[in-house]
Amino acid sequence: MSLVTVGIADLKVSNNPEDTLVTYSLGSCIGLTIYDPMAKVGGMLHYMLPDSSINQEKAEKNPAMFANKGIPLLFKQCYKLGADKKRMIIKVAGGSQIMDAAGTFNIGKRNYAILRKIFWKNNVMVDGEDIGGNCNRTMYMQIGDGRTNLKISKRGMVEI
Amino acid sequence: MSLMEEVIAAVDEMPPFPQVVHKAMQVLSEPEYEVSSLVDILKVDQAVTANILKLCNSAYFGLPRKVSSLKEAVVYLGADQLRQLLLSGAASKIYEKPNEGYAVFADELWRHALATAVMAQVLRRHLRLKIDENMIFTAALLHDVGKVVLSAFVSDKYRAIEPLVESGERSFQEAEKEILGFDHAEIGAKIAEKWDFPPAIIAAIAFHHEPFRSPKEFRLLAELVALANNLAVMVGYGTGVDGLACRGHGLLLEKLKLGERDMEELLLLFQIEMEKTCDIAGVGNG
Ligand SMILES: [Fe+2]
Ligand SMILES: [Fe+2]
Repeated sequence: MSLVTVGIADLKVSNNPEDTLVTYSLGSCIGLTIYDPMAKVGGMLHYMLPDSSINQEKAEKNPAMFANKGIPLLFKQCYKLGADKKRMIIKVAGGSQIMDAAGTFNIGKRNYAILRKIFWKNNVMVDGEDIGGNCNRTMYMQIGDGRTNLKISKRGMVEI
Repeated sequence: MSLMEEVIAAVDEMPPFPQVVHKAMQVLSEPEYEVSSLVDILKVDQAVTANILKLCNSAYFGLPRKVSSLKEAVVYLGADQLRQLLLSGAASKIYEKPNEGYAVFADELWRHALATAVMAQVLRRHLRLKIDENMIFTAALLHDVGKVVLSAFVSDKYRAIEPLVESGERSFQEAEKEILGFDHAEIGAKIAEKWDFPPAIIAAIAFHHEPFRSPKEFRLLAELVALANNLAVMVGYGTGVDGLACRGHGLLLEKLKLGERDMEELLLLFQIEMEKTCDIAGVGNG
């Protein structure tokens, strides 16, 4: 087995059944995995901001930083490896918040809201998720069988 | 021995902060410093000299020829790069110790410290705040240094701390204070005092979870470190067992007139800067 790290504002796809994709410490960021069980192709995205309109130029260079750029790119790269949209299994994790009653530090919530909106427009269903709270999550996906596990502070390992 | 006495004994055992770095920071904080006096300070330390030359000759800068004189390297790198190199070099060694009490991954505390320092720097530039760059970078980099000492004690009392945090009513730092009688901010300030840091830095460390308690003359620095810490934790940089159980200081955002869009822009600038810093420092990012 080889561990392929997905950094912050980064995405990786693979069709090597030996690979496990991993992204460490999701806070307000969102980790998204998509997987086609027939083609055995999967990908993982770790984005930190909802929308690239704040800086178009930087968005060109770092599409995986933003939900609106990173999500379509993740799907496209999996299609290139033979994945099919209809078969995709979708898992989502992250979107945590620090303790803040007024909700001023609400990037996590907005990161999740935009994903829902994009999926709704494109008829994509989410098959499993673990969102919010004030824990941090590390996300793993095995390319061999598409299983997605989370290592959550305080809660240990959880499959979604 | 009381718990506090045990902790004080552990603080006394901390190795000293490198004198070369202390002295170099004093020179670097002058707007027009003498290169030769900086070189005189740095050349005493062989490891520091080697690191400066190594950075200068690294692929990152892509210089056409090899630089072998310390003076030339100091001129080429300039104050910002030197400060980052010297302070992060010293801090990475301090945070390197095992952190069974807080960290989930081994280098987590160090990555968190670096992220907070980069965030504070980005905030300062974005808001054009008139605070000394050395001061901000140092305070932010060392804000959690108390965790290095407290780690073992937190680990012992974790069973008592955890349910308080789990209830959702206490931040990790508040629970720590409740159970131990003191927190890593207070202990961090003691370490900074032992290291002869100026009062502003000691205050910023002491009050990074409660900036409103800081004496007025140091409050802006404490607020900046508190906010940088909030944002670094929020993004997920260096969150250990405490996760995101950190009290947010939303009032600071209002005070600094930072709206949703500003915060997004800040995070974008931060991430780009952080990747650059990790590249230069040879730290893994992600
Ligand atoms: Fe702290
Ligand atoms: Fe911190």
